[in-house]
Amino acid sequence: MAQINYRTINIDVLDPESSVNFPMETLLPPTLPAPTTSSEAANVAAQVRQLLRSGDPEGALRAVLDTAPLGGDDRAKEVHLATVIEVLQGIRQGEMTKVLEGVCNGQGGSERADCLMKYLYKGMAAPGPSSGAQSPRKSVSPQNTGFSQIQARNLGEGGGGQQMSVLLSWHEKLVEVAGTGSIVRVMTDRRTV
Amino acid sequence: MAAPEVHHLFHNPIADHSFSPDKSTLAVARDSNVELYQKAGNKFSLTDELKGHEKIVTGVDIAPNSGRIVTYRNAYVWERTPAGWKPTLVLLRINRAATFVRWSPSEQKFAVGSGARVIAVCYFEEENDWWISKHLKKPIRSTITTLAWHPNSVLLAAGSTDSHARVLSSYIKGVDTRPEPSAWGERLPFNTICGEFLNDSAGWIKGVSFSPSGNALAFTGHDSSVTVVYPSAPDQPPRAMLNITTRFLPFNSLIWNGENEIIAAGHDCEPYRFHGDENGWQLTGTIENKSGSGVGAVREESALNLFRQMDLKGQTQADTQLKTVHQNTINTVRVYEEANGNVSKFSTSGVDGRVVVWTIG
Repeated sequence: MAQINYRTINIDVLDPESSVNFPMETLLPPTLPAPTTSSEAANVAAQVRQLLRSGDPEGALRAVLDTAPLGGDDRAKEVHLATVIEVLQGIRQGEMTKVLEGVCNGQGGSERADCLMKYLYKGMAAPGPSSGAQSPRKSVSPQNTGFSQIQARNLGEGGGGQQMSVLLSWHEKLVEVAGTGSIVRVMTDRRTV
Repeated sequence: MAAPEVHHLFHNPIADHSFSPDKSTLAVARDSNVELYQKAGNKFSLTDELKGHEKIVTGVDIAPNSGRIVTYRNAYVWERTPAGWKPTLVLLRINRAATFVRWSPSEQKFAVGSGARVIAVCYFEEENDWWISKHLKKPIRSTITTLAWHPNSVLLAAGSTDSHARVLSSYIKGVDTRPEPSAWGERLPFNTICGEFLNDSAGWIKGVSFSPSGNALAFTGHDSSVTVVYPSAPDQPPRAMLNITTRFLPFNSLIWNGENEIIAAGHDCEPYRFHGDENGWQLTGTIENKSGSGVGAVREESALNLFRQMDLKGQTQADTQLKTVHQNTINTVRVYEEANGNVSKFSTSGVDGRVVVWTIG
């Protein structure tokens, strides 16, 4: 019989009671939108760019947050993240508060605020545009928890620094509008962006 | 509004507290003991300790008429005898810590939530002179963090770390009378699932509560939101499920005040009020009146002191004092005084070792 190194067997996987086998999909609410693909995300990106060019930053941000591919695959989510960051970078510092208040008020405003907060954290976690091209993003966490801890962060070096400062100033403004509750919901919500 | 009554008992966290029906005795869970305080004048003083637990006590509840229970792994029911408090061990048959305990309104049963993914429903069997526990097990996928009883003593709401709030039947033949049919269900054998709810942002559920009529359920979770569910009929989706997201830190506990108001408190150290009905709920504000000492103290800071603080600590003032009555997270909110479901006073306890009785103006 072949030699088996029993110490390398992950026994948690074999134990149905183990928390490793917790069905994560049970945490997704029934209201989750239908899956979308990256081509649909690209279509949305084109429409949003149109809005941004026509001088309607508030409309652009609203549209991009309303169409977040919560049920989409990873590729769609990445395309959409790029669109959101493009919109955020396209809005001037002075306009931020006004745009945010417009987006976060009215029907569905708090959902949009939570969604924007998710994108801010995802944007800060993702590698910058320059390094991203060389090393494709790898998911390092052992199970699909939606969080991955071990990842290169773009703290100020290369082209990522500017993007980071944009995201941080949006974060500051958004916390003023939506409060700490919004940050807490980024952590609990399984409908990742 | 009358000022809240603050009782600073000690400098340890209070996991749970409970008042006796005449409000003269207060039981608090502190480390691995339960301490009993007697009211003398305006103060509570320590009179008795219930010892015998080996591990941290996570819950305490005084039944309005008779006994008392406390939990860890194995629950004790304490009864008052002339010689002092006598514990009776209840075998819960769980292999993880018990987390939460509540007497049913009928006082014939109590429910214990645990980390073993079961709720033990315990009742006293006359024949054997022994407390029996029956397990509610089926749909629960993770630790039970909180429980609440329906006024009919049959339905039990449970919140869990799998982010679901559930309504289950704990009907025990011979102990319970048949419940009236309600929106939750008509026939309710043991372990009937009457409802399973998950809100959009899916945090761990920290607090659940039935409205005074029992026809609505509110729960709050680690996502800083409060969700109110109005059931329609058995096996049907709820008539309305309203989610109020807030801008605060998460809430730990909540109670209903009548059918149209909810009071919730948690990591923001003060209780908040929500108001609404089936058509919509919103936050109406905080219970606390904070214009008192905190603000005034800041204004009277002298320039010399200000610069000295900046020099020594790099900040203009040492703000270690919160402006709220509670100086740390609130763990438990309980009804203190009510009439027909309308709460006039409620009590809170928290990590700061304070028990506060609030009057609703």
